[in-house]
Amino acid sequence: MTVIMADEHLYTYGVIDGADRELAVDGVAGATRLYTVEYRTLSAVVSDIDTLEPEQTDENLRAHDEALQTIMSDEDIEAVVPMRFGMVFKSARPLKNVLRGSRSVLTRTLNDIEGTVEMGLKLVAEEGVTVDRESVREDVSGRLRGVSVEETENGLFSDRLVLNRSYLVERDDREAFDAAIAGIEDEYGGSLITQYTGPWAPYNFVDLEIGVDR
Amino acid sequence: MSVAASGRPSSESLAEIVDRILDKGLVVDVWARVSVVGIEILTVEARIVVASVDTFLHYAKNISTLEIASQSGDLEDLQNLEFGSSPMVQPAPDVPDHRIGEAESEAEEQEAEAQ
Repeated sequence: MTVIMADEHLYTYGVIDGADRELAVDGVAGATRLYTVEYRTLSAVVSDIDTLEPEQTDENLRAHDEALQTIMSDEDIEAVVPMRFGMVFKSARPLKNVLRGSRSVLTRTLNDIEGTVEMGLKLVAEEGVTVDRESVREDVSGRLRGVSVEETENGLFSDRLVLNRSYLVERDDREAFDAAIAGIEDEYGGSLITQYTGPWAPYNFVDLEIGVDR
Repeated sequence: MSVAASGRPSSESLAEIVDRILDKGLVVDVWARVSVVGIEILTVEARIVVASVDTFLHYAKNISTLEIASQSGDLEDLQNLEFGSSPMVQPAPDVPDHRIGEAESEAEEQEAEAQ
């Protein structure tokens, strides 16, 4: 058996369902082309890279995010399991091996997040304003429950941060979700600053670690 | 960063990106990323925390382990190994790591066949 050694390593952005694809998108470390490495029904979206440890520069971080944005904006791609920054594989061989070994869980995860996006919502109290945090949080939950699939609580790292959540939203419900956010801003505009971001790959709804037992 | 009256989101700030891509997402152990076939027994371990309605917290600690024999040096020929667990039926937040017996024995069988 011949083992083909690749000259380049592979920087991975995420895992999608099937289909060979190529995207003319700028990637991490100056890459200009994204393509897929497949194992049966799964594909990892990758670009060539010459290091196993890419630097965490602003440029590279943004490139990783932008590549995922492009993947998500492709109508033919229903879901993407996003990789953490810096997941470089030595070659296609270990990548296929990982896809193969975790195929079942990746497939199930892709099914769970199919057709959804993550939206971020932070509510920050205006300087010197006191709000009834609990009632705001409950009210917001109630307004968004019907237009989202799931919510997660993220850290309240500042005293002024009243709410910090991620929502998993069906693509088809985006307009309704946007409208509900606008309603929240109308209601609390005088006392709270609304920070609404997305769509993101569902980072806060996918938590997978694949390791090696040595 | 303030939301427009339409309710549509603003573009992402670097801080928002960092919050996600450095702390969240699929992580693959460096050994699994550099291991080449034929050198060692490769074990792929997946920690499953897939969010699905009402189940996110329930299986936050559900851990499945799948061992893959790679000594034969011909992984492509090995049949795909499936996880035996389903997160939908395992609301067990305090259950310790466990191994999927069938998957392991299947791997061993295949390894034996390959040799």
